[in-house]
Amino acid sequence: MIEVKNLTFSYGKDKQALHGLNFKVGKGEIFGFLGPNGSGKSTTQKILTGILKGYGGQVSVLGMDIAAVQSQEFFRQIGVLFEFPYLYTNLSALDNLNYFSSFYPSENVRDPEELLDMLEFKRGFLKKPVASYSKGMRQRVSMARALISNPKLLFLDEPTSGLDPSGAVLFRKIIEEERQKGTTVFLTTHNMVDADLLCDRVAFLSNGQIAALDTPRNLKEENRSIHSQESTLEDVFIRYTGRGLD
Amino acid sequence: MTGMFFTLLKKDFRLMLSARFFLLAAGSLVLYSCYIHFVYVSLDDKMYPVYCYDPAGIGTQAINSITAQDSGRTLPPVINVNTKEELADACSDGYSIGIDLSEKAPRIRMVSCGIDTIDHLRAAYAASRISTIGAGGPAPLRKALLDSEDSPAEADQAAPSNTGAALIGKDSKEMKNRREITAEFLFFELAAVGFLGLAAMLFKEKDMGVIRIHAVIPVQRNAFILSKLGLILLSDLVFSAMLTLINLGAAEGLAVLPAVLMQAGILSLLMALAGFFCAIALPDFKQFSLLYLVLAVFITTPVFLAGQTGLEIGWIKYHPMYHLFLAMKNAYFRNPNTSPVYYAACACAVALLYLLAGWGLRCEMKREG
Repeated sequence: MIEVKNLTFSYGKDKQALHGLNFKVGKGEIFGFLGPNGSGKSTTQKILTGILKGYGGQVSVLGMDIAAVQSQEFFRQIGVLFEFPYLYTNLSALDNLNYFSSFYPSENVRDPEELLDMLEFKRGFLKKPVASYSKGMRQRVSMARALISNPKLLFLDEPTSGLDPSGAVLFRKIIEEERQKGTTVFLTTHNMVDADLLCDRVAFLSNGQIAALDTPRNLKEENRSIHSQESTLEDVFIRYTGRGLD
Repeated sequence: MTGMFFTLLKKDFRLMLSARFFLLAAGSLVLYSCYIHFVYVSLDDKMYPVYCYDPAGIGTQAINSITAQDSGRTLPPVINVNTKEELADACSDGYSIGIDLSEKAPRIRMVSCGIDTIDHLRAAYAASRISTIGAGGPAPLRKALLDSEDSPAEADQAAPSNTGAALIGKDSKEMKNRREITAEFLFFELAAVGFLGLAAMLFKEKDMGVIRIHAVIPVQRNAFILSKLGLILLSDLVFSAMLTLINLGAAEGLAVLPAVLMQAGILSLLMALAGFFCAIALPDFKQFSLLYLVLAVFITTPVFLAGQTGLEIGWIKYHPMYHLFLAMKNAYFRNPNTSPVYYAACACAVALLYLLAGWGLRCEMKREG
């Protein structure tokens, strides 16, 4: 589904952001991309979603060489949830979803109200402008926007940010359901609980390089010291990135 | 593609509605039209009131018999006062003029308005009110009055026997005024308000972060720009047509409408694209406001000064807005610009600004949240 070979990217002469990344993400896999701020996560995601060009190496997404992607076909098959819930605040949740869904073939589009029900969105706010929503409600609408076109590949950036614990559990359940449907998920997060519970494999990114890549279980196992109990993914994070969680 | 474009158009229309763009445009239309109809076309200074203190009744009768032929208008009569104090009081506003015939040598009494030329004109006008009487009448008075001024010869020449001015062209003075002020208002509306309108809409989208979503959904970036441009262009053309028809009348308005719409379209596109680029390139609305101020003060002011006053600005021919302003005015005066160079330059400017807008949009889509 995603194949990255020797990926490099630089924002300027002395601002090398990525130093030769190599990884593959299989169909139906939830792949965690973890790392501290400024480690190159967002840059990698922007390259994978076709926003950033001018990189080095080879990147293939959905079987297409991303450098050559010109058609809208690529964008019809991906769904992206940004770190912040970007929405038209003058429009209601339904109007936002109807607007964004209108760019996809109608046969692929899910029913906005059903999606919002699934995300436990308060029905009373369906037709109220987004400006009146809490962050959690906005996050639910943003998630609905990412899922509205039944994407084959889902990019999620901090999906449980701004949600209360029950909301976070619900989101994890929905992501799991998407995987069961065969959707591939590329998850970028600082939330080690999400990564631990959801991801089949995780990659730790540090200073533009992949410091470790394996299943959460193996990584925790490898990092268990003789005297301690099984380490957490947070311990692994600190060990590989050299920094605590921001 | 068509469906996608109309979806974007509908969304932009709703954004403009929520930003009260159409309300502002309608408000401007009403305000400009009311000003033109009720103020500007009848904006003509009243003739200077002339007061006369003539205790002996030497010249008053003769003066009041005069009906000047000023383009068919009857001049207001000279007003008699009973005392010198009353005369001084009546002439203390810097506008009215008093004639004092109580002494041996007649005198003009007035408070200076601050401009020598106008003061001479006022004096000459007062003298002219007694100028058409025969030699046995107040002519000696007139001479005496003008002699009491600093430059009687000048005043004498300045006092025409007939104050009517020749009209050039077929238009009445009122129609000329209407054409002129409508052209100016339209230019101002398109150059300033149109520029702000699109920028305000785009800043809203920037603040909401939704521009970044358009980078990862199947929508063409050109369509994103074109829908906004299309809507602003349509709105500006409707505004231009309405302003022209309301203020020039149906017959005159329709006669100049094609040329006016052509110039309005060019100006609208240029300003909308400039607004788009500035809104995308600048990080916040405060900086944009500062740029807008600079644009208004240093870029459009010389154009208005050169186009509307006698001020000679040698370099103004190199100012692109000046040519757009002249083209708009000429369109209103049935003399549309037909220069291929002008249209080629406009097309190049539109193309360049479009490329800049596209580049700015791509940068905004890549930006961090």
